[in-house]
Amino acid sequence: MYHLDGTDILNEKYYKQTKSVCPECLGKIDAEILEKDGEIWMKKTCPEHGDFKDKISSSAKYYKWTHYAQRDKDGKIEWQFLKNGEANAPDCKSEDPRGCPYNCGLCDEHLSTCSLALIDLTNRCNFNCNFCYANVKKAGYLIEPSLEDLERVMKHFREKAIPAPAIMFTGGEPSVRADFPDICKMAKDLGFKEVIAATNGYGFQRKKGGLEFTKECFEKGLDTLYLQFDGINDETLEKTRGIKNLSKYKERVIQNCREAGLTSVVLVQTVVKGITDLEIGNVIQYAINNIDVVRGIVYQPVSLCGRITVEEMEDIRITNADVIKEVDRQTNGKIGIENAWYPLTTIVELGRIIGYLADVEPVEFTCHPDCGFATYLVVDPDSNEMVPIMDYFDPLKIVDFSNRFWRKIKHKEKEQIKLFENVLGDFGKTLDKGVNWLDKQQLRARFLIGMLQYTKKPGKLMEMFSRMLLNGEWESISAFTHGSLLISSMHFQDAYNMNIERTKRCIVHFGVAMPDGTIFEAPFCTMNTLHRPRIEKLVAKKMTAKVENEFDTAKGERVIDAQEVQDEIHPEVAYNGGTKKGEKKK
Amino acid sequence: MSQEVVETEEGLKIRKLVDLRPSTAKEYQDAILNRVDHFSKRRDSVFNDATENIIVKALQIGLQAKVKIDELLGDNKDKIHEIVEKLLFLGL
Ligand code: SF4
Ligand code: SF4
Repeated sequence: MYHLDGTDILNEKYYKQTKSVCPECLGKIDAEILEKDGEIWMKKTCPEHGDFKDKISSSAKYYKWTHYAQRDKDGKIEWQFLKNGEANAPDCKSEDPRGCPYNCGLCDEHLSTCSLALIDLTNRCNFNCNFCYANVKKAGYLIEPSLEDLERVMKHFREKAIPAPAIMFTGGEPSVRADFPDICKMAKDLGFKEVIAATNGYGFQRKKGGLEFTKECFEKGLDTLYLQFDGINDETLEKTRGIKNLSKYKERVIQNCREAGLTSVVLVQTVVKGITDLEIGNVIQYAINNIDVVRGIVYQPVSLCGRITVEEMEDIRITNADVIKEVDRQTNGKIGIENAWYPLTTIVELGRIIGYLADVEPVEFTCHPDCGFATYLVVDPDSNEMVPIMDYFDPLKIVDFSNRFWRKIKHKEKEQIKLFENVLGDFGKTLDKGVNWLDKQQLRARFLIGMLQYTKKPGKLMEMFSRMLLNGEWESISAFTHGSLLISSMHFQDAYNMNIERTKRCIVHFGVAMPDGTIFEAPFCTMNTLHRPRIEKLVAKKMTAKVENEFDTAKGERVIDAQEVQDEIHPEVAYNGGTKKGEKKK
Repeated sequence: MSQEVVETEEGLKIRKLVDLRPSTAKEYQDAILNRVDHFSKRRDSVFNDATENIIVKALQIGLQAKVKIDELLGDNKDKIHEIVEKLLFLGL
């Protein structure tokens, strides 16, 4: 596998100690991550609730590769996939003595900045999927931040020393909000480079007005749809979403995006064992067939909630390694587990070099190697077939070169060259600026030549790649991604497999506007596993019959007029302490 | 495109259609070009920067030459890469 074959690393049994939480009481407990029968498991014991174990990876070999560390002659680590990010200043004090993951806020223990900000726009939804955690019908209360609240949260993410480059609106279904296009505009105006909607497609697919809505969102700043896409067969979609004939619904979204010029759709497949995993290959082929608008696929192995037995767990648990094994199998080895996939942290140093040399905001994917893997598919001009991008580069050499290059130049980021300032004052400052500019140009030339060495094929795609290296601008990145298909797998944590080494490094953060004027910022996984119920109670709005019965969720269709529902949601019903319907307010 | 129907354990029949072949590779080239076109309409787009366009062209020519040279070098390629790297790190 990769370059590990024949090395001792594969023979050494993996073992690490960490901290996790008890799935029953959510208390902090010790955990071990260990190798057993070619797989990686987490074992932990709660003094009160007993033993728990869960599969972390179904391939010990792949897991060990993602935890690989390159060492020098003396055994000192030169680089590894596990990284610490450049953290922003904390937003809150760590008040809970138990530490992570109870102090979210963000606290001073956090090791990464936020690369993707998330805001729940509403918990209203036209579907009622059985495994969804955020749904107005199940919650019994309404979550819907006002435009003022949204602006506060967005500013919070943009005004940090290292601002979040991208924002994703989630829900519920964000496009049920009538003001959704204006929210996209607000995000663009506040400087987010990439504005994304995580959607089942509702607003974009409507037979009446869907195209106009898509156009309006695109014109106002929406860049990308993260489209829920579990497969191409109606039978699969009915199993996961409980609605018949959904493939046509999804098809209408793609078609409206195409007509509106919104050419960046990412297909998001929730992977459930025995149901949607059968469609992994289908989704890849569907993406390829719609490459004019589809930019990527994200597999999300389903997270588990509620109490389940070890046997049940073994039946349903699916890990990132299972996903990439399935991809390998269903594509007849063309996208192989042995050579195509790299942890998301692979490109951290590359991003830092580009950010420094081109004076642009760096994008820091410093999440834990267990969080996600990715590969790019590109067309091989000779065979006319999609192949992993590794055919174009020597990936490991590029990773190694950029890691060493960054180590050599990173001090320059903090200490500018000062040759003339002390002698010539202000004029000297101007001269020093020129010297620093020249220094960057010579570094840029060295870096480009270094990268060129390990590039194997010329072509349009490589032209965009060199532009990306030259200017680091979002435009170049966007054009590069328009000629390729990004496939990634992101395994969110639940209480069974939570590892605080992961939570501390999380780069995907929810932001919630709190009634006291503060912003609560929390990693995706801790928010959903630990904090959501408490936080939602503080910001919940009163549920009304109109809000509850807005949609026929067996068909995914609206039954009550959108304006009527919107009129029901007054700001004054906000912050009622999350009293559930039928529950008396104290 | 090859298309088969498979049956799941529960007797569900689903379509399978994987062969990883786009109908034409041209669509990909077009997707990039359309994107470049989209950005170029803005005056301050990086795609309208004359200096950068020249550098990118030069790099493309350099890359084409490099791929040919790599082929000629065969097994000596790694040694040459090592020497070039040493030069690139000189003085850093
Ligand atoms: S996840 Fe981050 S913010 Fe939350 S407690 Fe841990 S280190 Fe602090
Ligand atoms: S959301 Fe979860 S899986 Fe994603 S980066 Fe954060 S910790 Fe990792």
